[in-house]
Amino acid sequence: MERISTHQFMILGAAVLMGTTFFPVAAMVTGVGGRDGWMSILPGYAAGIPYGLMVLSLVERYPHKNLLQISETLFGKWIGKIIGILYILITGYFGGLLLGQIGDVFQSSIMPITPISLFYLGGLLLIFYLVSSGIEVFARFSEAIFPIIVIALVLNAGLAIPRIEQGELLPILSEGFKPLFWGGVKVLPFAMEYILFLAGILTFLPTSKQELGQLKTGVWRAVFLVGILDTMVALIQILVFGPTETIRLVYGLLVLGKMVELSRTVSGVESIFLGVWLGAGVIKSGAFFFTSTWGLETVFGLKGLKWNLALGVVFMGIALGFTRSINLVMEISLVDNYLILPFTSVWILTLWGVSRWKKGAGVQ
Amino acid sequence: MKRTNIGLALILILCSLLLTGCWGKREVEELAPLIAIGFDLGQKPGTYLITKQFVSPKKGESTNVTDVDRTFSVEVSSPREAYEKMSKLLNLIPFRGSLKVIVIGEDVAKAGFLDLLDLEQRFGEFRRMTYLVLTKGKAQSILTMKMRAGTLPGMYIKDNLETGGTVSTFPLVRLGHYLTVLSRKSTAPIIPLVKSVKPGDEGIEYKAGGKDGGEELQLEGAGVFRGDRLVDFLTDKETKGYMWLDNDIEQRSISTVDIEESKVNFVGQVLKSTTKYKVPDQDGTIGIQYQIEASVAVEEVTGQKEQLSVTEWADLMKGAEGSFAKAIQKECELSIKKERELSLDFLGIGRHIEQKNPAYWKTVKDQWEQKIADFPVSLNVQVKIDTSGMSSSSATTN
Repeated sequence: MERISTHQFMILGAAVLMGTTFFPVAAMVTGVGGRDGWMSILPGYAAGIPYGLMVLSLVERYPHKNLLQISETLFGKWIGKIIGILYILITGYFGGLLLGQIGDVFQSSIMPITPISLFYLGGLLLIFYLVSSGIEVFARFSEAIFPIIVIALVLNAGLAIPRIEQGELLPILSEGFKPLFWGGVKVLPFAMEYILFLAGILTFLPTSKQELGQLKTGVWRAVFLVGILDTMVALIQILVFGPTETIRLVYGLLVLGKMVELSRTVSGVESIFLGVWLGAGVIKSGAFFFTSTWGLETVFGLKGLKWNLALGVVFMGIALGFTRSINLVMEISLVDNYLILPFTSVWILTLWGVSRWKKGAGVQ
Repeated sequence: MKRTNIGLALILILCSLLLTGCWGKREVEELAPLIAIGFDLGQKPGTYLITKQFVSPKKGESTNVTDVDRTFSVEVSSPREAYEKMSKLLNLIPFRGSLKVIVIGEDVAKAGFLDLLDLEQRFGEFRRMTYLVLTKGKAQSILTMKMRAGTLPGMYIKDNLETGGTVSTFPLVRLGHYLTVLSRKSTAPIIPLVKSVKPGDEGIEYKAGGKDGGEELQLEGAGVFRGDRLVDFLTDKETKGYMWLDNDIEQRSISTVDIEESKVNFVGQVLKSTTKYKVPDQDGTIGIQYQIEASVAVEEVTGQKEQLSVTEWADLMKGAEGSFAKAIQKECELSIKKERELSLDFLGIGRHIEQKNPAYWKTVKDQWEQKIADFPVSLNVQVKIDTSGMSSSSATTN
């Protein structure tokens, strides 16, 4: 059985949690929270920490089992299977949509004439290679790519500082705290996506007491790192574009990249950033490819190259079904808000509650 | 392991073959970079006269664009249609990512031009860094002008705008900035004004070059908009006042001539300026209070006929600080007066109030344009003379 280290768990978790959230996050939180929306990102992500800790607490009791297997143990075979099927459907569908987002980002920003299916195919080939190589390679890929993503984000935000408009951040909290709550709710599905991945990766985690403590710290670190980075991304967009324009721009970070000029001579650096964003998209979509394969294996016992290929075809089909940019953006938002958020929050909470109750009652 | 490596190699080969962007590839030699667009109203109702200026760098020359004749005007119903028509005229592929300047003609500015900008802010090839300028008369006549130096008008405007910080007499408005200001609702956007200057205009003399003459362009003044519709023009002095109040001064020259009746006058270079504001509540009356602090280097002292001692020179410089402050105040007051006359908040006072006193702003924002006319505005200008140059007195005739 493959294992990943606690450090790999932290970096992989952060990479999956971040994914391509830096593209929509500013418009999402500003849409509901106005110019204060950026403040809701970190609390929104932080709300995922208790869920992460709940999942890890189940590892202590049921080592080397993923949450689908634990669900079968705690809820019984059939309810467990139903949960497993839902898990496969949601993660598979969402992973396909994220593959579509890879193509959409490239086509709408720098390569409008290249057929979108080629971006899907390119992304899928990388994902397929990573999935075939196993979780350890996927974790190492994240260890290599994630720092570059972070550097690119910080550079993009830093180089946009000369474009900041006067006073766009003010007034602060003029509408009170209520908009922040709604902003946090918008971010919560991102944390739940991470929890879905966590639910499947449990079997690959070390289970000693010391390492469990490190895993819990890893959850904290990943959440805060990504929360701070996304906050920075939203903040710089509000500062440069103002809140109304931030909401209006579909991929504000790409527009920001296009505004970077170095000494009035170097521009067009957004293409470099886009290369990095491809890595982020591949990690996120790849993570959901993994979750789907874990689900298929746990629920139906289906595994191997044949089923991975079939899943790849499904991913490609989903992406091709959403070649209209606006439809894709809407669909991702719908899946996030109305499938991933309710399913994950209810499932994990119930599972953890039942586990605690059974432990208290002495039931195995 | 070997199988994995082969797999990796195959995937990399496939990726490099499939993701090269060959579908959209355009060789540099095949491109005609677009540097300026001009928008005017067309003769037929519902049409626009769109002028586009392309450059064709000559092979072997690393700098200076020499082909001036690649400027076309077409009458169309949309900018996208203009692209198609111009593609038929050009033997190269128009490349729009290089657009530097958009010149808005007076007629289209009065009718509203936001729809014309939609392509520039929507299509991924364009950048929000493009400059916007306004002109009295036709944008076409600006972009088809023959410049004395042989420069293309589009490049000239861009270069002039980018060096504008050394005089700080007109605002620098990029497409992104305009859209952000537009989204604030309460603030009226302003756009700098470009005009052609013929020999003899406004006391400017120059020798027109070549057989075809050749003219010069000047950036001076600005236009005030309600949304995307031009309402009025600001004079040079009013624009300078805006620059002070908007905290946009990098460096500029300031003179005390005509400020007060004095035999001695000063001309100085503003080295640094900061404008801050407060929104104080004085006995229930909310107003805005500007605080301008400027550091000046005195560069000319005229009318000083007597040799002064060091102490007397120090007193004279102290007096000069007050005179410079009055000169700055006068420009600001002209700008505030214009804002009140127009009942349009191009100074962004509404946004300042919203920033400092959001609760009060909520009570006035719906009637803001009516409120501007008599909204209390006060100024406090402080000038500090950092240096008076290499001489502590003036040369005298005695």
